[in-house]
Amino acid sequence: MNREIFIEPVARVEGHGGIEVIIENDRVKEVKVDIFEGPRLFEQLVIGKKPEESVSITSRICAICFASHRLADIYALEKALGIKPSPKTKLLRKLVHYGEMIESHSLHYYLLALPDYFGYPDAISMINRFPDEVMGGLELKKFGNFVMETAAGRRIHGENMRIGGFGRIPTDEELDTLKMKALQLIPTIERGIQLWDQVEVPDYLEEETIFVSVWPEDGSYGFEADTIYVSTGETYPADEYKKVSNERVVQHSFAKRCRYKGKPYTVGALARILNMADRLDGLAADYFKKLYNERWHRNPHYNNIAQAIEILFCLEKMPDLIDAIKEAKYEFVEPTRLTGSGTGLVEAPRGLLIHHSEVKDGLVSYADYVIPTTQNLDDMEKYIRNAAESLLKQKVSEMELPLEMIMRAYDPCISCSVHLVKVIRK
Amino acid sequence: MGKPKVGIYGLTGCAGDQLNIINCEDELLKIFDIFEIESFVMASRAKNENVELDVAFVEGSVSTEKDLEHLMEIRKKSKILVAIGHCAVFGGVQSMFMGKEPWIERYKKVYGKENAVTLTPPLEPKPLAAYVKVDAVLPGCPIEKEPFLKLAGKLAHGIVPKVPDFPVCAECKWKENECLLLKGQLCLGPLTNSGCGAICPSMNIPCIGCWGPIAKENWESEALLLLEKGYKPDEIVKRFAIFGGTERAELLKNFLESHQKQESGK
Repeated sequence: MNREIFIEPVARVEGHGGIEVIIENDRVKEVKVDIFEGPRLFEQLVIGKKPEESVSITSRICAICFASHRLADIYALEKALGIKPSPKTKLLRKLVHYGEMIESHSLHYYLLALPDYFGYPDAISMINRFPDEVMGGLELKKFGNFVMETAAGRRIHGENMRIGGFGRIPTDEELDTLKMKALQLIPTIERGIQLWDQVEVPDYLEEETIFVSVWPEDGSYGFEADTIYVSTGETYPADEYKKVSNERVVQHSFAKRCRYKGKPYTVGALARILNMADRLDGLAADYFKKLYNERWHRNPHYNNIAQAIEILFCLEKMPDLIDAIKEAKYEFVEPTRLTGSGTGLVEAPRGLLIHHSEVKDGLVSYADYVIPTTQNLDDMEKYIRNAAESLLKQKVSEMELPLEMIMRAYDPCISCSVHLVKVIRK
Repeated sequence: MGKPKVGIYGLTGCAGDQLNIINCEDELLKIFDIFEIESFVMASRAKNENVELDVAFVEGSVSTEKDLEHLMEIRKKSKILVAIGHCAVFGGVQSMFMGKEPWIERYKKVYGKENAVTLTPPLEPKPLAAYVKVDAVLPGCPIEKEPFLKLAGKLAHGIVPKVPDFPVCAECKWKENECLLLKGQLCLGPLTNSGCGAICPSMNIPCIGCWGPIAKENWESEALLLLEKGYKPDEIVKRFAIFGGTERAELLKNFLESHQKQESGK
């Protein structure tokens, strides 16, 4: 029997995407993840603009990871312009990055992902059964936003992070408020992590994959570096990012695709936590050890719990970070040259993000951006195909949600690359 | 009267305006209580598209034929259509290309020459009002929480509100900030819709115009002032174009060119 499943748009993701699964003669013939988001051509929008304009424009690529885009652009352009930022600038940027991780992960884990596992259409409907958890999720999200308001200027598209430094440095009082709040929220995320015990993780899709993340040179678990690590054991300096991503265009989508040595790979919280597991410490390490099993290497559903552990990681690290920010020296650094090129590597909440920029006589002359969801699309299709093959006997209507959940586990940020599932039985 | 039926939709954009609605953490439950949310795909799987809506909030620019189809469907079933965010109101940063070359040429540069568009035919990015009647607007890149909640509150009582039409400068003065423009910075505060609370100038950062141009803006005066401060016509035009749109940038370019001719003829 031939059937088509088409889930479109996929709900509870940021942006417009769809999954098309074509089943012919009781076999999965084709799986296509579609992106309907119109192409906005950012790499062309920045040409001829000043570096600081590029930073304001590219942070508009995505609302939820605007800070990551902004940081990747700043890092690329600071390298191009020969700027070495002051210690306080570096640490404050880290604080913004933690804020974005907490905000984005808590939105995804509590509000977008968990409702599926407990059979609800959204988090609001879940509130009667899990009032503390849902309210806790909102509380965490609010805190992440508060960090960004304080240090990045706004919840979304804040302009405070500049090339060379900050517009305004948060006061010690503001920083202390963040520190206190971070400590208060640790039990909240612990309760959230414990909720995962009640989740049944489907096993019918499992297959090994390659994980790619940043590789901080100082040996810490982190979200920025000048080195890329591939779980097959190789490392690459930032400028050689094309050896990892190998971007190509496919006909059915406005997002590009990436493969490492011809193989699909995964980026995101799961990739980070598996690549950098030895670098975790504190409660985050304890929960990881308690929850980890080897299925994590074969199943994207675990990306959700990896995100929750990263929320805990960020909250635990924040107090020391804030103390260091208060002590650190600040200086706004001006460009030392007006022509050059650079590659900025950061971990957006949903995975490795690369901005490569070239500047000529003070104006951007070339730009190339590699987006996390772009890198995840081939693996997404792979796991959706595996699941569809295992679920072939089920009705089309019963297949949709499990397939959609796989896509959602990747926390796809579709506005930046990629809606969601169409099963076609012919 | 029952609860007003509401749909929240996104076309092409960064989804930041919908996200800032979800970011109303303290008010989110109330919003779901006061309104019957029939469709909000970014927040819920439950949706009913076969119902007449009292209010539709739409963010994003019309950038593909699919976007246009979707917008037409929403318009048909909605009593009040509200454009939220810069992309829906003004077209967004993706509409700033300044008409230098056809869209397809820029597309090829990003996606490669051999790859034709096959998914849904793209359109030159435009705001909602280029295609349909828009009953109310809420600008911002992104929209802010307070103005959204005020707008939503009025709509809940059946009032279609107007956006206050004064520039960022007013909010900046209320905060008693030092004027960045007079200090010689390329600040677009005098030309830009207020509502953000003059957030950037308050952090010592010049306004980049992300709430879009106010209706009665005096861009000629600002352009002349910037010339006087030593900025070149090209950098003024480019900065105006990021959030100001192509049409205005062209007018500005012509104005500055004829001004320079006059000056050199003196």
